[in-house]
Amino acid sequence: MTMARRSLKDRLIESEELFRDTGVYESELTVKESDPVTFEVLFTRLLQTLTNAREVALSISASPSTREQGEIIFGLFTAEGDAVCLSTGLMIHVHTMSRAIKWMINNDYETKMGFREGDYFFNNDSFIGGGHPSDQMLMTPFFVDGELEGWIGGLTHVTETGAVEPGAMGSSFTSRFAEGLILPCMRIAADDELFYDFDVLVDRGVRSSISWLADNRAKLTGNLIIREKVKELLGEVGLDMYRKVCREYIEDTRRATHEKVRRSLFPGRYREVAWRGVTIKNLERLMHSPCELVVSREGRLSLSFEGLPSAQRQPFQATLPLFEGMLFNGLIQNIFYDLRYNDGTFLAIDLHVPYGSACNPDNIQLPTTLWGPAYGGMQACAQAVSRAYFAKGYREEVHASGPLTSGNLAGGKDQYGRHFGSQCFEFASSGMYATSFMDGLDTAFSDFNAEGDMGDAEIWEQQMPQVWLAREIRKDGGGFGKFRGGNGIHSLYMIPEGIEMEIGAFGSPPIFSTAGLMGGYPAAALRVWIGRGTDVQAQIEAGTPLPNTEGFDRSVPEFVDQVSAEWSCVLGQNVPTSSLEPYSLFSVVSGDGGGYGDPLLRAPIDIIRDVENGLSGVRVAADVYGVVVTKDARGNVGYDKEATDSLRAQHRRERLHRGVPAAEYKRIQRERVMAGDIPAPARAMYRDVMEISPIWADEFRTFWNLPEGFEVAE
Amino acid sequence: MTMSNQNSDDAKLNSIRELIEGILPLDQLATLQREMKTGDRVQIVLAIEQDRVPWSDRILVPLQENLYVVERDDGARVVKCFCGHEFGDYRLNWKEEALVFERHPQDGIVFQPNKGADPVWQLLREFYCPNCATQLDVEPVPVGYPFVFNFLPDLEF
Repeated sequence: MTMARRSLKDRLIESEELFRDTGVYESELTVKESDPVTFEVLFTRLLQTLTNAREVALSISASPSTREQGEIIFGLFTAEGDAVCLSTGLMIHVHTMSRAIKWMINNDYETKMGFREGDYFFNNDSFIGGGHPSDQMLMTPFFVDGELEGWIGGLTHVTETGAVEPGAMGSSFTSRFAEGLILPCMRIAADDELFYDFDVLVDRGVRSSISWLADNRAKLTGNLIIREKVKELLGEVGLDMYRKVCREYIEDTRRATHEKVRRSLFPGRYREVAWRGVTIKNLERLMHSPCELVVSREGRLSLSFEGLPSAQRQPFQATLPLFEGMLFNGLIQNIFYDLRYNDGTFLAIDLHVPYGSACNPDNIQLPTTLWGPAYGGMQACAQAVSRAYFAKGYREEVHASGPLTSGNLAGGKDQYGRHFGSQCFEFASSGMYATSFMDGLDTAFSDFNAEGDMGDAEIWEQQMPQVWLAREIRKDGGGFGKFRGGNGIHSLYMIPEGIEMEIGAFGSPPIFSTAGLMGGYPAAALRVWIGRGTDVQAQIEAGTPLPNTEGFDRSVPEFVDQVSAEWSCVLGQNVPTSSLEPYSLFSVVSGDGGGYGDPLLRAPIDIIRDVENGLSGVRVAADVYGVVVTKDARGNVGYDKEATDSLRAQHRRERLHRGVPAAEYKRIQRERVMAGDIPAPARAMYRDVMEISPIWADEFRTFWNLPEGFEVAE
Repeated sequence: MTMSNQNSDDAKLNSIRELIEGILPLDQLATLQREMKTGDRVQIVLAIEQDRVPWSDRILVPLQENLYVVERDDGARVVKCFCGHEFGDYRLNWKEEALVFERHPQDGIVFQPNKGADPVWQLLREFYCPNCATQLDVEPVPVGYPFVFNFLPDLEF
């Protein structure tokens, strides 16, 4: 008698029920305990295989965002879709590919489509898995003796999706159907050969298909390498051993996650908030991302985002898979960096994200391109974790918020007559957060990809033909503090002759999007400057020096004063794409890091260094840091200690003079709240949040001592 | 304990003290970052902090830069500033006892108009110690946003 083969769906249900009932993924770690050396060696071989495949795939890709910024990751999954091991790279996607595999299993792909070795399934539907249509995954099953034993997946971030705005990440989208080609778990290859008609679909469906199609080949190649190597390993150790260690790796990580929390974080309740918002006309509103992190003495870590605003017809929100991805990306980088990267961490953490909120929309027709409070949630969570480290004594892990990475997108026809569309990923080199022990690094960091790099401007100019007039470290961008946040990049682009270009940017509303910590200031707000009808052509013909800097400590950048033009400034950097004539200028900044601690406690020598390096000025030194900078006859920069002590004392006296006792402040503010004297963007947020979250509404009313049932006036 | 163990312990204690003071050289910092987190750091840091503060109340937990939860002789557990100022029961948000200043986000002193938030959207809420005037927190928030209660330690043991 032969046993009927169990379906993947039954196996998935059984696996999930087992975890729900027992709280463990695998009850015994027998291999780890009986043969720890083999246990570790096998994992190292899997990790090597995945990382090697990633390196090969990087060199196949034709996209700078993949090849130079490293926006790529590979993973190995169980038959049920649980991540066993991931390569280095885009850690956001520890769980997002798991979700897509499980989605196929739950939606009967096994019976309706059939799974065969050599099949490849493509997905960029972020409600299923991934972050937005740019996040494109390619997954393939592998078989042993006719049984599906696991999955391999590769994911890259592709910079053009055929969206209404070029470059995929436009800030004007009010519907999912503006986001371009969205393909939910489609088979696009069989017998390890990509289908020709899929290439045709992409080629005709987007402005420039090279990144998408070359990335597919890169991912297919990576998957192939991994499949062959995993099968080699399987042949060596046997199927039973392979299955057992895969489950043990996940369970081992789950247990290690609890242990790491117990040893590293002080038990208690932590709260942080980050900010985003909507800038589309008539939909303007602020959005907060309220993070509550609870650490138990036993090492449980619970995250709640009760109070998130509702999902609406705007792109500054995220699907649940993306939000999970952002949070786990942050947690892995901040706490679990020395554990195995797999679904064990996901299983160990309790997460509450209200359904219907801007990080868990209840309508798959809503756009979710720009993530909004999901990115903020990761920043807030990282600050909460930092406080927990601080209390436990691990000051070397404490830091303020990482930058809101942001940049430009463009499309049109390039100098060769080719259509193009892309984002510029130089923002992967934003300013790092300040820590409790040093300034944030300048132009060196993004939360979403620790290996990110800005890439060569010349390579970017091949992909999107804006010409860089300036690429410099942004001055005074990082949040001020005892340790300052790292500064991001400022880039000034010129639109050259002989091309057609529409250009825009994405970022935030006109707010501080990156908070400081424990007395440090937030990073500077993002902004775009656009110059139309410039005299740059005349300046070139006259041979005068072209503008190449913001300057520092200026209310208007230096290049604005140097170029006669019709200038406009958009604070926050959400600028839908529009056509610009040749010799127009477009200036963007990437994000900057938050500051740490009271600026009056900053060591004067650190301020002198910034002044010497042209990253800050004498006025900021005096007004923000209370340091009196001096210059000797040779131009050497120093400071006057006596005058500095006196100025810092004066700053402190001024704080005591202007500060109002909190009770008095609250009394005055309560009257404003009662009267509805709140600017429109916040008013819209309060009304929305209080409607969908009675818990948050109660806290709001309690804090301001408002009558039961009080509502903020419309 | 051997002499070399003693030297090693002293060196580590010194490193952690310098870390807290923000003067630890980066190569030594990397050593600390690579160490296994065993959970015993909290006791070391409590001892160092107790030594640094100019008062004798027992520190239960460092709450954040400049603030501590201490146990007074009368058994009360309160939030206390490095300078000695007390903010009251640790189960309540210390910000309720601080000085508050709302800063225009483009005041030209901290942020230039080119780099500060639009005041319609957000302002800067600064919290100072009423005694030593240390800036303890800065909240970038809109009008009407409740104070954020950043940390309630679990001390019920």
